[in-house]
Formats: sequence, structure tokens, C-alpha cells
Amino acid sequence: MASVDRCDKTLPLNEMMFHVRKSKALRDRWNTDLAGLCREFGVSDEEYRALADKDVRALHELGVHQYYVPQMLRLFYGASANSNAHPALEAYKRAYPDESARALELAARLERESAVAEGPDSLGDRSAGGLGGTREASPHVSLWRK
Amino acid sequence: MAMTHAPGLTGWFERAPMQQQLLAKKAMDEMRWRLEAAKPDVILGFSNDHLLNWPINNTPEWTVGIGEEHVGPADWYDEWLALDKYRIPGHPTLARYIVNEGARRRLAFSYLREMQFDDGFSVPMHYLNPYNAIPLVPVSMNCTVPPVPLPARAYEVGVTLREMVKAYPGDERVAILATGGLSHEPGGPRYFWVDEAFDTWFLALLAKGDHEALLRGCTLEKMEDAGSGGTAELLAWIVALAFTRGPAEVLAYMPAVAWRSGTGMVAWSDMA
Repeated sequence: MASVDRCDKTLPLNEMMFHVRKSKALRDRWNTDLAGLCREFGVSDEEYRALADKDVRALHELGVHQYYVPQMLRLFYGASANSNAHPALEAYKRAYPDESARALELAARLERESAVAEGPDSLGDRSAGGLGGTREASPHVSLWRK
Repeated sequence: MAMTHAPGLTGWFERAPMQQQLLAKKAMDEMRWRLEAAKPDVILGFSNDHLLNWPINNTPEWTVGIGEEHVGPADWYDEWLALDKYRIPGHPTLARYIVNEGARRRLAFSYLREMQFDDGFSVPMHYLNPYNAIPLVPVSMNCTVPPVPLPARAYEVGVTLREMVKAYPGDERVAILATGGLSHEPGGPRYFWVDEAFDTWFLALLAKGDHEALLRGCTLEKMEDAGSGGTAELLAWIVALAFTRGPAEVLAYMPAVAWRSGTGMVAWSDMA
């Protein structure tokens, strides 16, 4: 089963997140009255505990839609500079250390490769290998010509 | 044409290796140049809703933004995307035609007079339509809340849309844009991962231009294996594919872990 298929479409926490993202008033209560907010949406104690603990794996296992989990972390930690180094994402590294380590290893390899690249001119050579365009390309576009 | 809409492309662009930044920027400049050279009257865009417009208990398969004007990004997304508010003209005549003609052809389109915009359209419009000069008809799909349409369904919808646009009574020039993908798993256990092998395989299929082969090989299961809940954004590319024939030109590909998405840009020259 793909991970997105594990979501429980009827979970109150999923319903709550839809409304929280749209309402500044609700977002403002996230860090001041999370328990009260959860009560209003009928969130269970188990859901609340996983949320308050920022327990990514537990949230997934309860059926929170996976797209909402980083959004929850953003509400706790803020959205600025939401890179892979952002503290909000440490919760993922704790929940899924193997998967995260594998990905960060790939990122490190890419950084190393980039560091030894010859600079912008080398991109043209890479493009010629089949995955890039050239400025000489014809000015066509995906255009429906009626 | 089609491109990734990863929020990192605007929100934390500089976090990627310099080589990836340069490659992405060059490809998006190329797309913009081609788009402007074609002088379209309207962009018909396909992307997906990230649980912004529709709640999890009601996720229509397809939704058309029919407003006179589109305003974005939505408040929740502006800081994340690091984008100022923008206003893009809509094309209500074409948009409402799609909704109504779709119904006559047994294809259900929900519609929104005030669609909200996340990364799906905000990121590509920032790079391809920076002066908001080209009107947009946004069509979003559900590819994250099960059940997700199968690739064959997306292609079938694309074929119907293609025939509908052909039959449209106006003489507007319509540019086709798909956004989303490539491999990524937003919020899932493999949140940081991208599947370079899948991405290059998929792009090679597009470059080959054999639609039947692509639909046979690129199953929903294969997309989910390459990143659940995110890679299936490529269904928007498959809708656009139905408007085309022949090979796509792959302008760029980057396994952009920093942007948490396989990142690619393609363009087609020949329309079906």
C-alpha cells in the first residue's frame, strides 16, 4: 500500500487542518490553545498527543494525510527558509532515520558533484548529453493552433 | 510544455547546488521565451490542488477556475513560496465553456469562481508569466487523496479536452501547460528523497513520443513507488500529453533533493 493510501479521510485532525490553513484566527490559536482547538474539531486524545509531540510516524499511523504533516510542523516552527535544514524537518529525521539518511546522502553527493563542476559553461555540455535544451532550439511551444 | 512546480523553486531556490539552480533557471527562461514567442491568447493550465480548495471529504477529480481574475498565492502559501501577491487575468468564456461542454460530453468539472492558489500555479506563473500578461484558465485535479485517477483516465480526459478546445467557437490561441512532479513524496516517509531512476525513465518515454508505451509502462503504482502522493502530479503532464504528438524535448532534469522534488522541464513542438 502506498503511504498516501493510509490516510483516514474521516479523521477529525484532517478536517481541522483544512480549516486551520484557511483561517488566521485559527492559526493564531495553534501555539496558544492547541488543546481547545482540537476539542472544537472533535480530535481524539490520541491524535492530540501525536500532534503535540510532533510525532511524525504516529501521525502517519493514525491516518493524518501525509501532506498535512509538514504543514503541522510549519505551524509549530514557521515557514521561513523551509529547507531540508529547517528545524521543523528534524521531526522527520527522527521518525524515519533510514529514509532520511539515504536522501541526505544523495543530497551530499549532488553538492559534491556541483562543487567540482566547471561552472555555468559545463551545463551546455551536460545538455548536449540529452537532458538539456539549447538556445538554438526552435521557438515552438505546446500551443493549440486553431 | 510542462514543468515541476516544487515550492523550493521560489521559496528556497538558492539552497540547491549552484549547478541545479543554473540548469533550472536556464530551462525556465527557455520555456518563457518559447511561450512569449508563440503569442498565445490564453494558457490552459493543468495542475493539482494541495488540499487547499477542497477539503478531504470532498475532492473533485477536476476543477476549473472560472474567475475574471486569479489572485494568489493564498495567504497560507505566500511566506512559504516567498512570493508577493499577483493577479492574473482569467478567461471566463473559455473556462465556463469547458465546464459546460465537459458536462455535455459526460466529463464532470467542478468549478470555482475564486480559486485559491498554492505552488501548483504560483511557481510556474512566476517564471513563465512574470508580468501576468497572459490570461490563465487553471484546471486542477485531485492526485493526492485516494482514489486518484489512473493515467489512462488522465489521458482520456486530455483527449476529450483537446476535442473540446478544437470545437471552441472562439479563435484564441491556446497554450497548454502542465505542472507538477517529478518524483517526490510530500510529507511521506521519503519526504527528502527523489527517485532519479524513475524520473529519467519517464522523461525518456516522453522524449520517445510513444503515448501508448508511456501509458502501458507508467502505471499509478509505478508513480506511487517513486514517491507516494506527489509523483502522481505527473497525471497533469499526461493530460497535456494528449494534446501533443511526437517527442517532447527535455529541456532540463535535476534530482533536486534540496527542493524535495525531481525537477524537470519539457516542451512539445507538435500538437495532435
